[in-house]
Amino acid sequence: MPDNWGYVFSAYGLAAVALLGYWRRLAGRAKRLARPAVRAGNVRQG
Amino acid sequence: MAARALGWLTVLALIAGLGAAFGWAPREAVQGNVQRIMYLHVPAVLTAYLAFALVFVGSVGYLLTRRAGWDRLALAAAEPGVLFTGITIASGSIWGKPTWGTWWTWDARLTSTAVLFLVYVGYLLLRGMVDEPDRRARAAAVVGILGAANIPIVHFSVKWWRALHQPSTILGPEPSPIAAPIAAALLINWIAFTLLFAYLLAKRMEIAQLEDTHAG
Repeated sequence: MPDNWGYVFSAYGLAAVALLGYWRRLAGRAKRLARPAVRAGNVRQG
Repeated sequence: MAARALGWLTVLALIAGLGAAFGWAPREAVQGNVQRIMYLHVPAVLTAYLAFALVFVGSVGYLLTRRAGWDRLALAAAEPGVLFTGITIASGSIWGKPTWGTWWTWDARLTSTAVLFLVYVGYLLLRGMVDEPDRRARAAAVVGILGAANIPIVHFSVKWWRALHQPSTILGPEPSPIAAPIAAALLINWIAFTLLFAYLLAKRMEIAQLEDTHAG
């Protein structure tokens, strides 16, 4: 069977994008919540 | 500080996992290098099982004690659980094309995994729709408990029904037939994914705690 490296890199690339995207989203949310303006306001849990 | 250390340990484990998957593990004799998708696909689904088991624990804990910490655990586990299930489905589909000749088939394993994914997407949507914290946590806990029933269905689907998907080669009743270097590479990636999940869980729980503090 041919090696199909394109499929391999697509799978790993997609996973990397999804995981990094989620990690960045968490980091951004934590940063926003740490701001004094947000601390004073109301934040709804997801 | 501990979360940061866990984060760096996760990065090192993921690098080791990639090294094992692409460097150390041999080229598989039948499928060729496309089999290397297994080092992503299998750890992703095992991590999803772990995440949804924690959603179950958090849900039961909340219904028994009504303590917000259990609900935060369930929420913090559900999000990465959905992410890892999505990765499982996507990587499986990409692996399926060159090996089975199709991106998708309504095979028992694939269908039950898609149902698992949709149940927990529904769980997260439900949480977003209810404002009152106790009502939200109770409703989510019921879905979290019922949803966990799908985990054994996904895992044993390849035994219970005739499926295109191969039977379990790990976590099965028989000794694993996998060659030692392939099994070792799989184990390293499994550990790396478990660490990654632990890091994401800790981070998400910290955020949920902050959100509760602000809301209260």
